[in-house]
Amino acid sequence: MTTLLKMENIQRHYDTPAGVVKALDGVTIEINEGERVILLGPSGSGKTTLLNCFSALDSPTGGDYTFMGSDVPRNHSEKMTSFRRENIGYVFQFFNLLQDLSVLENILLIQELAGNKDPKRAKELLKLVGLEAEVDRFPGEISGGQQQRVAIARSIAKRPTLLLGDELTGNLDTETSQKVMTALVKACEQENITSIFVTHDEGLVKYATRVIRIDSGKIISDEAVNSN
Amino acid sequence: MSQTDNSTSNVGSIFKRSLLNKRLARSLWRTKLRLFAVIFMVSVGVFAGITFGGYSHNLEGMYDTMHGDDEEGANLADLWIDNRSSIWSAEQVSSFCQSLNDSWDNSVTGELDSCEGRTVIQGALFHNDSNGEQIINSLWHGIPADANSDRVWMPSGHSEGRVASAANEIVIDAHVSDALDLSIGDDITIGAGTESMEFQLVGIGYHPLHILMAPEGSLFPPEAGQYVVGYLSDSGMARLTGNELGSSNTILLDIEGTPSFDLPDTEEYEGEEIDLVKSLVDDSLNQSDLDARVRDRGQNEAVEVMRQDLEGAKRATIPFTVMIAAIASITIVLSLQRLVQSQAKEIAVLRTLGVPRLSLMQGYLIAPLVIGAVGCFIGILIGPWGMNGMLDFYQDIVGVPITERTIPIATYSSVILPTMIVVFLSGAFPAWKASRLEPLDVLSGQNQIRIGSNILRKLTSWMPTTLGLSIRSSVRKPIRLGMTFLAVGISLMLFGSIQMMSAGLEDTLISGLEEDQSWDAQVYVTPDGEDAVLEWASNNSAESELLIEMPLGNVEDSDGIERMFTLVGLNDFDDGMRKVNVIDGKAPSESNGIPEVMMDEGAIEFLGWNIGDRQTVSLNGDEQEVLVVGISRGEIARTMYFLRAELSDLTGVNATSVYLQLPDGVEVDTELGEVSAGIIERQVLLDGINVLLEQQTQVFQAIMYLGLLFTIAVMLNTMIMNVAERDFELATLRVLGASTKRLGSMLLFESLLIGTIGGIVGVLFAYGGAVGLAASFSSWQFYVPIVIVPSVAFQLMSGVIIIAIAMTPIGIWRLRKMDLVEKVKDLSQ
Repeated sequence: MTTLLKMENIQRHYDTPAGVVKALDGVTIEINEGERVILLGPSGSGKTTLLNCFSALDSPTGGDYTFMGSDVPRNHSEKMTSFRRENIGYVFQFFNLLQDLSVLENILLIQELAGNKDPKRAKELLKLVGLEAEVDRFPGEISGGQQQRVAIARSIAKRPTLLLGDELTGNLDTETSQKVMTALVKACEQENITSIFVTHDEGLVKYATRVIRIDSGKIISDEAVNSN
Repeated sequence: MSQTDNSTSNVGSIFKRSLLNKRLARSLWRTKLRLFAVIFMVSVGVFAGITFGGYSHNLEGMYDTMHGDDEEGANLADLWIDNRSSIWSAEQVSSFCQSLNDSWDNSVTGELDSCEGRTVIQGALFHNDSNGEQIINSLWHGIPADANSDRVWMPSGHSEGRVASAANEIVIDAHVSDALDLSIGDDITIGAGTESMEFQLVGIGYHPLHILMAPEGSLFPPEAGQYVVGYLSDSGMARLTGNELGSSNTILLDIEGTPSFDLPDTEEYEGEEIDLVKSLVDDSLNQSDLDARVRDRGQNEAVEVMRQDLEGAKRATIPFTVMIAAIASITIVLSLQRLVQSQAKEIAVLRTLGVPRLSLMQGYLIAPLVIGAVGCFIGILIGPWGMNGMLDFYQDIVGVPITERTIPIATYSSVILPTMIVVFLSGAFPAWKASRLEPLDVLSGQNQIRIGSNILRKLTSWMPTTLGLSIRSSVRKPIRLGMTFLAVGISLMLFGSIQMMSAGLEDTLISGLEEDQSWDAQVYVTPDGEDAVLEWASNNSAESELLIEMPLGNVEDSDGIERMFTLVGLNDFDDGMRKVNVIDGKAPSESNGIPEVMMDEGAIEFLGWNIGDRQTVSLNGDEQEVLVVGISRGEIARTMYFLRAELSDLTGVNATSVYLQLPDGVEVDTELGEVSAGIIERQVLLDGINVLLEQQTQVFQAIMYLGLLFTIAVMLNTMIMNVAERDFELATLRVLGASTKRLGSMLLFESLLIGTIGGIVGVLFAYGGAVGLAASFSSWQFYVPIVIVPSVAFQLMSGVIIIAIAMTPIGIWRLRKMDLVEKVKDLSQ
């Protein structure tokens, strides 16, 4: 399998009045193309910080991070934004759809920002997540689960290499969570997108191909699983 | 419950409320810039109100003192009866006054205090200075030593010397003594259409008919020293004119008290009391076989213009204060509402903990009151300074001393009360909104959910999505946007309306005089005195043109009110030295029957006349039917144009003045001055108008720039709120990979959109304000045409757009400053 990203001895330390906080303390990890990774850990374990470093939202204070063989930019806002625009898809816990845009337009906006507006593909993606009937509705007019599926369609609309999600089912009930995850797996497989999701819901492990457990800023286990 | 429990509970309640209010105060303090901006706006509103209120109060006091019938005052007459084309003998005047006295009855309010004759004539002052001899257009009054009304006003500390009593003595108006460097004891040379004579200067004072130093028929004072008014004794006037002592061309009536007269700027008719006097005067004029024009205070331009100036200052107090307070109020509403929105979770928690709605409301109601109180306090402190500045400015431009300066309590209360009410009301809506927040909705995020507009979606669906999003984001808060536009509109009403009105006035007046008139000097002549001027012109190779110009027209309007106007007779309206700007119809041409006339647009509007109308007017006392054939623009005074030959036939006057075009090297000289009854040079007139317009603009300039400042503050407030509210949306887009450049372009487009709409609204408000201002300034005496000068509209619009665009860097700065890791945490909570 081809390596998509590689982190070596990644550190993310914060200086606080109470002393140095080591959010990530020497994380080394390789993610291969096509994997569906779930990051599990208790609150404050460093999993969100690691996700932020994957997406170049945050810059590690130490260690090396390469993506498809190239160094990932750090401490340069515009280069980091450009990296995200070209490579990363992101799904938030609270969907964060733009309320003034319709379901379809939320997807078109991301395509437009990436410079490849394609209404046909946007509609296909909505069909893929089972929302072809909702294209002209506003986010406020559909359910939370539907909104999250729109967010997934939006995140893969620009064909990212890596899809990231932070507690993306944390705001949904179990049944809706399963629908969302099913849609997500289907989309990632169809689009051949590698994905990494942060959660503390053990029930989502069944959708992953690999589970990494993290605590106190360190990886404590990393194991492959057989997903359905 | 025991009494102790009750008191503990009350203390607890007060303590709880004071903590809540402290919480709000701290929140407000976090937005110090906005807080200070609002306090500044309130204080400016109060400052403006006290400045205008105090100004008009003291101005009124000055007029009362000047017009007073006591030792300090000059006792302004109640009725002026005059005929400038002939002189009445002392016997004729005496006979008229006797007849009037005999007919005076109890139906008239007040006793007839005096009926006295005067001579008031145009002339020239021959003045020598470093540039050689100047012939200055002048007006001479002959005032008997024992005169009762229209005396010279000699306020102590602001005048010098005494009134003229001997035949060789003169008092010169204080407006010109400094400009001409005259002092008591100087010998000065004057003329009045005959030979020149020397008089000794014995006093420097003022006159109630010459507060505004403008020649009769004009509202524009020439530059200081270019128009002189002097007050001779009656024997001095007899010496100057060669007429017998006691002969007059004006009779003044002074009635005990002041009979009410019609105020031309009101819709009501207030002239019943003076009308009774006028009817007795008409009877006595008929009995004495005299032709004359009869004017009350409302019809005497020199008096009425100043009264309207005072009224204008009085009227401006409340609207200016309320307008500025309204802008402050809108800013307070928007700011508090934003505060409520940003504190929604905090409020929800407090409500969950059991804090009652009323306790929450209280703080939001108190906040504007505190802001208002601080603003009012600052306004009160600086108000007197503004008033004194305005009074000093009035003294400088009008040249009359304001002897007493006080601000009555009533002025303070009339400004502070409406300000505090407006400011208090601005807290009511945010307070109500805060108290209505439902804890469950807020804590579950339900209050954040909103559904976009389908209409907007359809309207913008064809656009690129980012553009559509920009438009939808801009109009997401229509009430806030509407209120912002309202505040911008009011601000620009302050700024733009004055600018628009001034530009319109300048455009019509200056361009008319500069471009349409080609004479160099207008030489006034005594009846049949034009030949000497024509001879001078011929000897000096100057082109000449006769004209008639006299303020002796009279017409009854649809309300039955007598309106005076100026009669102008010209030889040629197209190729003469004075071209007239005909805006509708045509210029008068020779007629076989009814004389054709053209009237200025102001008169046409006030009288409700149309082209083609046949109307009956009074010309120098004689009834005459005329045919209206055209409408002109460019006159401040109401004017009726005739062909000179026809007007001459109707009035028996061949010419009242002569226009001269002077060849290079030829200037107005003593010889011309001696044969004239006054000379006005066109350049002097133009300079005077320019100076006056500049001064008028300066009066309002402070208000104009405040309007601009308010526009900036209001736009800044809204744009910052818009960007701050969109942190969530912009952070999402940034996380999803939108570049700062791309988002900056979106913000720029939004600014451009809001700026353009704001600019259009501003121009509309400014135009509305200009129409309103013009309507409030316009009266029969002073008509202000509203001429849209496109450059002013473009300037206003560009101003607002530039202000809006200038806010974009603030948005971009926020974007760059945004901590995406923190934002993502927020987005995940």
